[in-house]
Amino acid sequence: MPQPPAATTSLRSLARQTWLLARNDLRQEMRDFELVATAGFFTLVVLVMFGLSFSTLGRYAQPMAVPGILWLAVAFVGSLTLTRIFDREREADTLRALLAAPVHRLAIYLAKAGVTLAVLLGCCAILVPGLVLMFDAAAPFAERPLATFSLVFLGCAAYATIGTLFAAGLSTSGGKNVLLSVILYPLTSPALMFALVSTRTLLDGHPGFEGYLSQLVALDILQLVVSAWLFESVLVGTAGGSSRRKRSAGRRT
Amino acid sequence: MGRTLPLVLFAFGAGTFPYCVQRVFFSTPMERQMGTVQKIFYFHVPLAWIMMLMGVVCGIAAAIQLRRQSSRAEATAIAAAEIVLVAGLGVLITGPIWGHATWGKAWTWDARQVSTGLLWLIFAAYVLVRHYGAAGSERLAAALAIFGAIDVPIIYYAVKIWKTTHPDNNVVGTLPPEMWATLWPCLAALLAMSLGLMLTRIRQEVAEISLDEGWVRIDDVVRSMTAKDDGKDADKDDGKDADKDASKDEE
Repeated sequence: MPQPPAATTSLRSLARQTWLLARNDLRQEMRDFELVATAGFFTLVVLVMFGLSFSTLGRYAQPMAVPGILWLAVAFVGSLTLTRIFDREREADTLRALLAAPVHRLAIYLAKAGVTLAVLLGCCAILVPGLVLMFDAAAPFAERPLATFSLVFLGCAAYATIGTLFAAGLSTSGGKNVLLSVILYPLTSPALMFALVSTRTLLDGHPGFEGYLSQLVALDILQLVVSAWLFESVLVGTAGGSSRRKRSAGRRT
Repeated sequence: MGRTLPLVLFAFGAGTFPYCVQRVFFSTPMERQMGTVQKIFYFHVPLAWIMMLMGVVCGIAAAIQLRRQSSRAEATAIAAAEIVLVAGLGVLITGPIWGHATWGKAWTWDARQVSTGLLWLIFAAYVLVRHYGAAGSERLAAALAIFGAIDVPIIYYAVKIWKTTHPDNNVVGTLPPEMWATLWPCLAALLAMSLGLMLTRIRQEVAEISLDEGWVRIDDVVRSMTAKDDGKDADKDDGKDADKDASKDEE
């Protein structure tokens, strides 16, 4: 019987490891619903606050406001989720064990990005119907569910790919979580901008919607490739000289 | 060479810059449509080129820092990022002034304006992370710089990919020779100043890294010596206790 090529075997092994790690995270989440409950509640609060602020907008202003509300809410909820995504490993000090385990580092990244994406999609399941209920201009979300799902999926994926990389870096650097927002918002702005423009074309029924969506796909792929390439360096670190320098700064204070 | 080159570059920049100003305002013909405000072009475009060049330099240096543990690459990345901030601020100030005079609006949310603004924000975040990040955050900053460098080609091609109000990249290529004759000295003066600043900052950063490493080595030696002394004292105390016990037994 012919053996499968080595690349296929390692890809299969990577997929299996990713699934096992993601399943483990999701199983732990199912025990206490800490991340889902806090992120879901936060989404609801943000939605209500946006609703209170913009419910009186007229017919013509609403299609311009709704995309902004959707993606700003995703940005806020995303930063909340990403500050917590590596917390279990940090609190129980299991990240070192995970890194020492015979697991592909890329599998850790993909699993964490997958969990972040799942949480963000869960929050969008509250956000999108909420917007449809609150704003007349958001009706196309309900009329074109497949297009809406593709858009939300691609936008959230763009946020999760880049966010997971930096959340991982902060979890190992013993860093301040405030820096995550400092890093995250400028870096995710292009993705949010693409998502925002695509949402506006969807609401307007513009024929260029598919074109914008394909630009978002290209951005997702670019971000995923670069983040996956950088993940090991950012998480484990090979810059020994630099850490010595920071160590000295730490000792002086 | 290490100290001389920045000084030569500063001297060249300081000597050339007054000549540039003279050329811009007295020797270059007035642009027909825009008038005097077009003169800002001779500062805006070189600053934009320097910003993009330094963004790429920072990204490459950060990638080398991540892969090869090079403290010189780390110092280069820091210095280049700071130049991006300064040059970017110049671009973001001169651009809206020019835009206000020609388009009637300082900021039009044009694709090139937005991508330039984002590049500046990414490098501002880089500098913040370098200054306020905890131990190990230099890796995060390096990754941030790499993403910043990826934004540079997006800025360049923004006017081709999306519909914008910003002039096309080919505009510079179609300039009359007398305008080129002014643009080159402006670019040379500003680039020389930027490179001089960058080399000076690299020297400072390399010196700081070496001092820090030296400090850590001395600290390690002092700690190990203190630990040895404590061990000897403990042995002496143990010996004294043993002598006392022996004398008690004899009594």
